[in-house]
Amino acid sequence: MTTPDRPAGCREVVDRLYEYLDRELDPAVERAVRGHLAECAHCFALHRFEDAYRRFLEARAQAKGAPPELRRRILHHLLSGRDPEAP
Amino acid sequence: MSSPADARRAQFEREALPHLDTVYRVALHLAGDRSEAEDLAQETILKAFRAWQQYRPGTNAKAWLLTILRHTFINGYRRAKHRRETVDVHEIEPFTVFREVQDVDPEGTFFARIVDDEVLRAIDALPPDFRETLVLSDVEGLSYAEIAEIVGVPVGTVKSRLFRARQLLQKRLYDYAVEMGYIRRGSP
Repeated sequence: MTTPDRPAGCREVVDRLYEYLDRELDPAVERAVRGHLAECAHCFALHRFEDAYRRFLEARAQAKGAPPELRRRILHHLLSGRDPEAP
Repeated sequence: MSSPADARRAQFEREALPHLDTVYRVALHLAGDRSEAEDLAQETILKAFRAWQQYRPGTNAKAWLLTILRHTFINGYRRAKHRRETVDVHEIEPFTVFREVQDVDPEGTFFARIVDDEVLRAIDALPPDFRETLVLSDVEGLSYAEIAEIVGVPVGTVKSRLFRARQLLQKRLYDYAVEMGYIRRGSP
């Protein structure tokens, strides 16, 4: 396990790369991974690729939202359909 | 003139409705069909409105809605074609796309050439447990802890599903990009 005193190795960085990208690591481990990425060209390249994948997927898959018709229908229900339990 | 019911509705519209896009997108990936996803999203929102007094203002409305969505889906919308078969994560062959592309396209620019519909198709082709975790994380940006709570599994399971889901999805997208000639297959 990485501690702030001991830098992370390639194997550990590869294993924890997703947690790093997802901002799920403890600050000390995150620093150790960041330090390794700054020095290791291979891990940095992998990191750049996985980061590109994540940005791409978020942008693409979020492109479509709820259809306007669905939004209208729900608003209509909220306005007209009085809640049975309400006074 | 504003009644308590109006105030309640106004608060619901302010705090819950902004998440309708997320609810719809996740519903689409759960149900796998547009009209079913619309029904599912609508039922979820109306159910949430009826239960609104159980929601504590200022807490995580998105996660709360997604939990309701998931229960609604599991209790009524599950169809044979989307049965939630469980997949053993260890049975899936590890495959890292980066290894294939590092010499020809290390920055993954081929991703940008893949059209939206193909991306959605690739997501929907994932096994259900993986698809759900991947959508909540990579599309909707929820944390591991939020996903664990919504799905009802330990954080470690979220991590391992996400790891395999990303590998599987990247492989599908890569295979598609190769097939379309967006990238040439790297020499192993």
